[in-house]
Amino acid sequence: MVDFNRKVFRDIDWLLLLTPVALTLLGCVGIHSTAPGSEMKKQLIALGIGLVFAIVLMLNDYRKIIVNVAPFFYAAVMVMLILVLFFGKEINGNKAWLHIAGFSLQPSEFAKAATILMLARHMAQPRVGSLSLKDMIIMGAIAMPPVILIALEHDTGTMLTFGAILGSFYFLGGLRKILVAVALAGLVAGLFVVYPHLRGYQKERIDVIIHPEKADPKGYAYQTIQSVIAVGSGGVLGKGVGQSTQGKLGFLPFAWTDFIAAVIAEELGFAGILLMMVLYLIFIWRLVAIAEGARDRAGALMIMGFVALIGFHILCNLGMVVGVMPIMGIPLPLMSSGGTAVISMFIGVGLALSVRLRRFVN
Amino acid sequence: MSSKKNQHREETQNFGLRLHAIQYLILAIFVALGIRFYFLQVSQHDTYVARAENNRIREIPILAARGLILDRSGQTVLVDNTPAFNIVIYPEDITDKAETIRMLVENLGVDRAELTARLNDPYRPKSQPILVKQNASDADRQYVSARELEHPEIKVETQPQRLYKYGKTAAHVLGYIGEISQKQLEMEKYQNAGYKSGDIIGQGGIEAVYDKILRGVDGMRRVIVDSKGRPIAELERIEPIRGQDIITTIDLDIQRVAEDQFEQKHATGAAIAMDPRNGEILAMVSVPSFDPNVFARNVISSDNRKELRAIINDPTHPLYNKALQGTYPTGSTWKIMMATAALEEGTITPTNSKIICGGGLSVGNRFLHDSGGNHGMPDIHAAIVHSCDGYFYRLGLRLGVDKIHEWVDRFGMGKKTGIDLPTETRGTIPSREWKRRVNPRDPVWKDFDTAICAIGQGSVAVPPMQLLHAEAGIVMGGEYHTPHIFKEAKATQAVEAKYYDDQPTELKLSKVTTDIVTAAMWGVVNEGGTAGRIPFPKELNVGGKTGTAQVIAKEKVRGKEHKDHSWFIGFAPMKGDKPEIGVVCITENGGWGASASAPTVNYIISAYYSKKLNRQLLPDLDMVAVHNRDANPALAAAMTPQVKDADRRRAPVRQ
Repeated sequence: MVDFNRKVFRDIDWLLLLTPVALTLLGCVGIHSTAPGSEMKKQLIALGIGLVFAIVLMLNDYRKIIVNVAPFFYAAVMVMLILVLFFGKEINGNKAWLHIAGFSLQPSEFAKAATILMLARHMAQPRVGSLSLKDMIIMGAIAMPPVILIALEHDTGTMLTFGAILGSFYFLGGLRKILVAVALAGLVAGLFVVYPHLRGYQKERIDVIIHPEKADPKGYAYQTIQSVIAVGSGGVLGKGVGQSTQGKLGFLPFAWTDFIAAVIAEELGFAGILLMMVLYLIFIWRLVAIAEGARDRAGALMIMGFVALIGFHILCNLGMVVGVMPIMGIPLPLMSSGGTAVISMFIGVGLALSVRLRRFVN
Repeated sequence: MSSKKNQHREETQNFGLRLHAIQYLILAIFVALGIRFYFLQVSQHDTYVARAENNRIREIPILAARGLILDRSGQTVLVDNTPAFNIVIYPEDITDKAETIRMLVENLGVDRAELTARLNDPYRPKSQPILVKQNASDADRQYVSARELEHPEIKVETQPQRLYKYGKTAAHVLGYIGEISQKQLEMEKYQNAGYKSGDIIGQGGIEAVYDKILRGVDGMRRVIVDSKGRPIAELERIEPIRGQDIITTIDLDIQRVAEDQFEQKHATGAAIAMDPRNGEILAMVSVPSFDPNVFARNVISSDNRKELRAIINDPTHPLYNKALQGTYPTGSTWKIMMATAALEEGTITPTNSKIICGGGLSVGNRFLHDSGGNHGMPDIHAAIVHSCDGYFYRLGLRLGVDKIHEWVDRFGMGKKTGIDLPTETRGTIPSREWKRRVNPRDPVWKDFDTAICAIGQGSVAVPPMQLLHAEAGIVMGGEYHTPHIFKEAKATQAVEAKYYDDQPTELKLSKVTTDIVTAAMWGVVNEGGTAGRIPFPKELNVGGKTGTAQVIAKEKVRGKEHKDHSWFIGFAPMKGDKPEIGVVCITENGGWGASASAPTVNYIISAYYSKKLNRQLLPDLDMVAVHNRDANPALAAAMTPQVKDADRRRAPVRQ
């Protein structure tokens, strides 16, 4: 543990610490307009807890965390994922919430962070040459338990997130270029092979995107249509904070969780969306810069795991909000209402700050 | 080992490259998403603004209260509106159609086929609520309100319901209301009137004919709704313009007396009372009748469907207005027209009108009997008073079929009278041309045909209204008024009053002719004629003519259903002043003219004068009692049980 002296204080990457805070607060604007009761308060409490986590993690050596804490964290999350199958609370068809002492936790959010840490732990040693088959299998084995447990919750979106994280680790770990090409081709082909075997509702959600005009506006297309209307009706400057009709009057279901960006688009307009995107880009840019300057491979990979997680979530979530991606229940990082996800993100921020503070080989 | 070192560096460089690859992939995704946001928010902004407004702003119709229908006094309400708790569904707010249908069918008794048809009707605006149950019970309302959150599309609303206060009384005149049918929507007449799918319109009687006056103009509320369709704020409100109340020419008391007559005799048939001086219909009866309230409920519940089907499929055709649609041979009532024609044509003259009766007439190889025996050699007066068939067979042959046809045509026979009720029929008046057309095997008109036509039998078949109109014109000296029910539409805040515009037509008849005919008709009642035994109050100077419409049946069938139809047409007074009331009655299978219908006419005319003179004219006809008789009390009680005073004030009834 380093002393929290003036040198450390100066060395903190303030931009990295403050952009996620700004994004969370921006999300709160939309939550305040649309969510019932105490959702915004919960989000702010989660932000506070997240900041405490971030600072504690920052002050600790990430290498020790990866080596000593990560396995316990991973094991604890797996236990929670099993518990959620038996005692979980079902919200919107996904049985993903665990009630512990008045708090509701979403273990699958922690599982993402835990998996990133475990994958980085495995990849700690710098290696020569391309990624070996053995490494790929071990990494796959690390990601598999949470994927299976989450599959049992029917949470397709979260499952795909693990694919994105694992994929980014393979890619950065030195997967041979030819295999990268094969994997991309395989991904595209896989979509066509998997499509006919999807569950009815999954298929319909994709059909809505491919043939929006054929979809039943009262059925699965409803959310997509309402979201696009919300975004489009926002215009350049938006309808004003608290003035959304789509969000506030309930045409957009669960506006404060998965469709928070639609509320921002409706209330703050294209300007608000640009602000949001710029904040995200600064956030990601800082993370990539720290990864680049990291003293070791484990730190860099760990941060890039979070970058992949954030990038994938933004792609899927905003894609869904503007009607070009199917609805998968993937929240917008930091902005969607959901305490566990916010805390999980700040764990990543704290670890990145820790990497930053220890970037010079001593 | 330099190669190993190289490889290591290469791999390290490679890591940095791959790191930036992810970074720029994310940037590319951001740019693509940004473009999409720009496209939606800037380029297509207007479209989505409109769609968002569409989402949240809804136009909810405010139904205009339908005008009331009153009797001629302007005091007695025949058709009222009563507030009722109705269950309606808003198709726009349905999320799970199958579930909604299941709920309504299984728990509220809605007819599945009817509901599905309405929900799937492509012409019906989605914003228009569908009425699924009227007069919902407490249990029904509790069932709906308990499911308000999951099923916001099902609502309980207080709406005005049409109430035909006297049930079956004057049902054919008043008509009924119902939802506009698909067939009607396709008709130009309805399209031009601006009707739309789902509208409740008049479907019979004056409800249909004067629908435009009665319906008013629906208002509208523009409200902001949330996604559950719950109104949050009102943007604009256009108040409905209530329909005009219509005062009819019907006299409820006379109508009831007429209906009582049929009921007491357990008879079917029709009767019409009209003021021959202006064509106002005082009473119009067609038995059997129906309860228009069944139609007014317009509910798509299974029970109501059954009730409706029962009326529609009833073999006695209660919906059929026999006064306008029923066609019967006129029998001897026809002789009034024959006498008038012959006198006008000069076939007979006032001084020389005697023709032999002979108890009948041989025509070709057949002998036509005079049903009243042998009347010797009567003049026109005696021939009418005693309804001498032998006289009129011969008179008919002298006139010839062409002249007969020409004259009855002038009296309006075989033509619609133009009464302001739907479904009037022309009937059939035989002529040479007619026989050629309908009877190709025996196309040539024969003397036999002329002879039976001359006494109103054979192929003559007209509705009672037509006969009354034709002969009222004769006793009025050729002054014809179009029969009508509409008297006045009362003014509202928005619309001026309207009055019936009577436009009489004149048929040139000499006074001598009409005096002779009138005197003869007076004689039928007052000189021991065919209606001489009927106790018409002497002071009323009633005149009339009996008639017997032959029912053609196979021989030896003697059941009641094959008895002849009994006619009587009467006017009063037939001495001194011009007549002020004319009544026609046909009692189906009532037998001889004087036996069934003349007493009915006596009661109707006496009822009219009892009211006018304010005293009792017949021993068992107490008009005060008739007047004070309640509206159908069972009906009134059934209609408004649960509506509390507060709700009654809310409902747009009698503003």
